[in-house]
Amino acid sequence: MNTSFTATSPGTAVRASAVQLMATTLLAMLVLFAVVGPLVWPDHASQDLSRFLQAPSLAEPLGRDHLGRSVIARLAHATQLSLLMAVLCVATALLAGTLAGILAAWRGGWIDTVLHGLSEAFIALPALLVVLIFSAIANGDLWTLYLGLAMAQWVEYFRMVRARSGVLLAGPAVEAAGMLKLGTVHIIRRHLWPELRPLLTAMATFGIGSSILALSTLGFVGVGVRPPTPELGLMITEAFPYYHEAPWMSLAPVLILTTILTGLLSLRSKEAHR
Amino acid sequence: MSMRVNNLTVTFADKVLADVAGLTFERGRPVTIVGESGSGKSLLAHAIMGTLPASLTARGSLHMDGTTYDLEDRTNRRSLWGRTMSLLPQEPVLALDPTMRTREQVAEGAGTFRTDKRAALHTATTLLGSLGLGPAAGAFPHTLSGGMAQRVAFAAATIGNARVLIADEPSKGLDERARAELASLLQRHVDGGGILITITHDLDLARELGGDVLVMKNAHIVETGPAAAVLQNPAHPYTRRLLAAEPANWNHSWTRGGASIETTGDPLITADGLTKTYGRQRLFSGLSLSVHQGERVSLSGPSGSGKTTLGNVLLRLLPPDSGRVHHADELRGGRLQKLYQDPALAFAPGAALRHSFGDVIRRHRLDPARLEEFMASLRLSPALLERMPGQVSGGELQRLAIIRSMLLEPALVFADEPTSRLDLITQEETITSLMNQVERHGCALMLVTHDRTLADAVTRRRVRLGVDAGSEATLTTPALKTPA
Repeated sequence: MNTSFTATSPGTAVRASAVQLMATTLLAMLVLFAVVGPLVWPDHASQDLSRFLQAPSLAEPLGRDHLGRSVIARLAHATQLSLLMAVLCVATALLAGTLAGILAAWRGGWIDTVLHGLSEAFIALPALLVVLIFSAIANGDLWTLYLGLAMAQWVEYFRMVRARSGVLLAGPAVEAAGMLKLGTVHIIRRHLWPELRPLLTAMATFGIGSSILALSTLGFVGVGVRPPTPELGLMITEAFPYYHEAPWMSLAPVLILTTILTGLLSLRSKEAHR
Repeated sequence: MSMRVNNLTVTFADKVLADVAGLTFERGRPVTIVGESGSGKSLLAHAIMGTLPASLTARGSLHMDGTTYDLEDRTNRRSLWGRTMSLLPQEPVLALDPTMRTREQVAEGAGTFRTDKRAALHTATTLLGSLGLGPAAGAFPHTLSGGMAQRVAFAAATIGNARVLIADEPSKGLDERARAELASLLQRHVDGGGILITITHDLDLARELGGDVLVMKNAHIVETGPAAAVLQNPAHPYTRRLLAAEPANWNHSWTRGGASIETTGDPLITADGLTKTYGRQRLFSGLSLSVHQGERVSLSGPSGSGKTTLGNVLLRLLPPDSGRVHHADELRGGRLQKLYQDPALAFAPGAALRHSFGDVIRRHRLDPARLEEFMASLRLSPALLERMPGQVSGGELQRLAIIRSMLLEPALVFADEPTSRLDLITQEETITSLMNQVERHGCALMLVTHDRTLADAVTRRRVRLGVDAGSEATLTTPALKTPA
């Protein structure tokens, strides 16, 4: 009786704060750079040793690296690769984890036991180790990195979806839907999806950030993408020896990484915890 | 000592939610405030206590022990809480701290808690023992029954020896036995020279407590007087309406109706030798039961006796430990429906009602006009469908749930305590809506309730589940055959 008088809520529309607006702008600029950049500077591989460590100019805003390659071209291609890989990995992990989670919660029995056991095995291994094992198997090809990152990430989606759906599916609302013979689609669309959506988007934004970071970490320690493919982590490693001569070379990929991560983290609004 | 309230008003924005000119509370004479939900009775009590939500404004004054308190200042009565005034909260199961053992949380209210914790714990143990809760002193609240939790809350509210006790809907969700116990506890407080203010929509509790009764409607007190007089010979039309809404006084075309037990034809549900055990507690064993077309059967018994479980076994939502349940073909394809105690939990919480109903209509290829027809006949505004389930009042949502179940023209409706959270007038409205539909479609009804008078009013045949301490479930209906 008393609760109805508590402060009026702003409704379902989430008003973007100034921070969120800034984060969105930053991310949009980065995406633009990743999409348009490789078209403007298509050549990231051709070497010109006579232009070794050339300083930035109008034509080459970030100068040239130790092999005389265009740094801005390499940066644009690397950003594109990182974002694409991250989105792909998260989409795969999210889809696989959500479907497996709903399946396990719904069917129970041996399906649940098997899937849950599998997820437990993955949790026992550190995520980077999973990726390392995968890239070791196929010698650092892109698809193994993708598979490894997706494999390392599906578990958290699976466990969250399984736990949440278990509660929802056992509740009276789903029981009533069952007695009304409303079918699977109705239950997923009206009962599970509205409850899972905010949690999944929150996890996915963090997931994209951690995938990009994992990819560049692997590149940095030299087990990720192999040269000459441009990759953010790899670019940092390659530029380090020349830090005193050409600091912009190592700072540019670091700046890109920082922008992506802070942008993704600041996107989170308070609406997630209702 | 007495307590007096002058010119009390509670407002939200410009809307007056409670307006009372003057009230005097005497020691040893209980005052019970009755009325329907939203009449302002709960706000009146919280305004006196100083526990109103911050968005509401209270005005007026409170005189007690020669001191005057301004009701607008919500902090000036804090020092009285627990020592002079205390509140027995609604739904004690939710009000108790789930992480604390009962003895520890009761002891927190004792006057000596800060200085001598051991003495406070000792007082708590003695108090719990005197309430018959000795064995439960070390238990966590979730292991207690509703009646026991109510007694623990009573202990916590009275351990500070507060003379003024305000009980807010204390009998909500309690069965008859627990309510009688509660009444005697409250009576004990009055006999000890305390002031008791009880807010309830339960007229039986008001009768048991005696003293004075205030009837509230639309923020105002419409009638006041001794309980016996007001509840026997009401003067105000609203009080008469309230009394007429008690199930024992119902007089509708469908009261005590339904097909008789001798009905021939195949039963819709046949249960044979059902047994169900939860932990050490055997809910029922060797239970056989059949429900025929058009029959109206009630399942009654105290809380915890397995009414809901038996219902779920009969609906084949839960497997029995032994025995079998057979459903007739007439019940296939959604022609067996269930109504829930809390309708807010029975709808998808994140979907507008329009979508929930739209899915039913599309899935079963029904005529959308049927829904409009139902809405009109149950006096529900079509605008309600635009809202989320959480934004509709309990009574309206239960009527929407009735419509949803009736859309499929069920052969049997199973209603699990459909009105136990509603006030008397809303209960009558809701049950009337349900029974009109049941009568129109000639469907069978199984009603689970702990309210004997409601069971008597609606059904002709009763199945009673009863658990006496330690003994197993007993069935007291001649219509039931219990195999030897």
